[in-house]
Amino acid sequence: MQEITLADFERAIKAAAETALRNEKYFSELDSAAGDADFGVSLASGFRVVQNDWDQLDRSSIGAFLLKISMIISRNVGGCSGPIWGTAFMRAGMLSRDKTSITLEDLEKMLTAAIEGIQQRGGAVEGDKTLLDALIPVRNKIKEYVGKPDADLREVLREAAAVATEAIERTKNWVAKRGRQSFTGERSVGTPDPGIVAIATMLNDICKAVGVEPASQASNG
Amino acid sequence: MKKFVNDPANFVAEMLEGVALANPEMLRYVPEYNLIYRADRPNPDKVSVVQGSGSGHEPAHIMAVGPGMLDAAAPGNVFSAPPVDYCYECIKRLASPKGVLVLINNYQGDRMNWDMAIEMAQAEGINVKSFIIDDDVAVQDSTHTVGRRGVAGNFFVIKACGAAAERGASLDELLRIAQKVNSQVRTMGVALTSCTPPAKGKPIFEIGDDEIEVGVGIHGEPGRRRDKLKPADAIVDELFDAVFNDLPFKSGDRVAVMINGLGGTPISELYVLYRRAAQRCKEKGLTIVRNYVGEYCTSLEMAGASLTLLRLDSELEDLLAAPAEVAVRIF
Repeated sequence: MQEITLADFERAIKAAAETALRNEKYFSELDSAAGDADFGVSLASGFRVVQNDWDQLDRSSIGAFLLKISMIISRNVGGCSGPIWGTAFMRAGMLSRDKTSITLEDLEKMLTAAIEGIQQRGGAVEGDKTLLDALIPVRNKIKEYVGKPDADLREVLREAAAVATEAIERTKNWVAKRGRQSFTGERSVGTPDPGIVAIATMLNDICKAVGVEPASQASNG
Repeated sequence: MKKFVNDPANFVAEMLEGVALANPEMLRYVPEYNLIYRADRPNPDKVSVVQGSGSGHEPAHIMAVGPGMLDAAAPGNVFSAPPVDYCYECIKRLASPKGVLVLINNYQGDRMNWDMAIEMAQAEGINVKSFIIDDDVAVQDSTHTVGRRGVAGNFFVIKACGAAAERGASLDELLRIAQKVNSQVRTMGVALTSCTPPAKGKPIFEIGDDEIEVGVGIHGEPGRRRDKLKPADAIVDELFDAVFNDLPFKSGDRVAVMINGLGGTPISELYVLYRRAAQRCKEKGLTIVRNYVGEYCTSLEMAGASLTLLRLDSELEDLLAAPAEVAVRIF
């Protein structure tokens, strides 16, 4: 089966950064329903630095690259989102420190480590209406393909984007239980969680960046 | 609100530069990471004790760096946790073979950033552990916190751990001492006025001329309730009862008492408060072994005070009495 290379990670992060910048206002609007309306601005401030520092990032391995992204995100994304997103990149980076290409099985492990990191740092669990409710189904979908020698990475990516997109509608009417949104509990019902929308939009944009037609559209951005 | 400020964005950096210039022998300053550390650190024979919280609480914690206290402090902006790279650099530069102890006040931002930095440092083989301080009895959760907040009781954790570290205690030994102090210390505060972060330019909450916020947090977070201003003794009584009953303290206890000013209350008023606190201790059968009246953990220029009681045993009495030197001094 094909391997996932450092160049693939670069393309993905670059696309995700563009998602964050293009949706700065939209993600903040989603956050204003029950949070403090700064999620889009916070996320964009971090990914703007990723873009600005792009040429100087350490590319000696996938892990080194992700650890650098982790530091930039934790440092520059405001509020609690910084260390939460930063921890996800850090845990994934720690498992790929000496690798310039990885298998789908490695990716699944990295994603699992990222999910555990987010849970530990933020104290959220599945069902709290956070980005975990997009990331966990994505990880589970990837797991289905692990061990299938004929799995097509492009199909895996499309399917991963599809489950993340489904999570937006599926969780929309849940009550947010963690983060700033939890203070306003009931007000979150009916509005999608901005973290879930961000993950889904990023995955759909990554699809487009590598020429994979996404199964559906997540964002208006 | 009038303030001594140049560009508000440089407020913290200029304060740190001032602290460093005032203590050229004792302290070193790394502007890129808001890092102030003891010139003779790290010491391979001693655990480094460090802290980093938001600024605006001075002398906590940046002016608590010195022999017998903290080895380093890495503050964030006013009322903002230090970012992860400040925390990481602080640990890395203070790394000693005996270990690094990070004392964290219980606020979500501080915890997340330090936890992440600690994880990164541990992955590089640095021996670092942390301890969470949560002495404020006023509220269980707040806008900044899950659980109780860390406030003026922090001083006693720093003092005891700083003294023990100076004598060569191991990292695990220091964790035990931190745990002991935190489990025996209780604090509650009251605000007479709000305060204004320089970069924000307006008060962080509104409060009437005749009102007080009972149980206020050191970032102006709401406390237990808004009340009408009442005589000083009645205010002390409320703080004292909340703190006394929480542990609970009991007749015969030997204690340290702290009346901490929140930044805008003159020391004369703090002694009016101490007078009543001492009366209440006597009435309850507490023996005051040490007292602390002054500013230890403030909230910029907020008028107000907090009352802290710490139950002592011979070990803690000894550690509190050990010599220490910090950047704030009056002699």
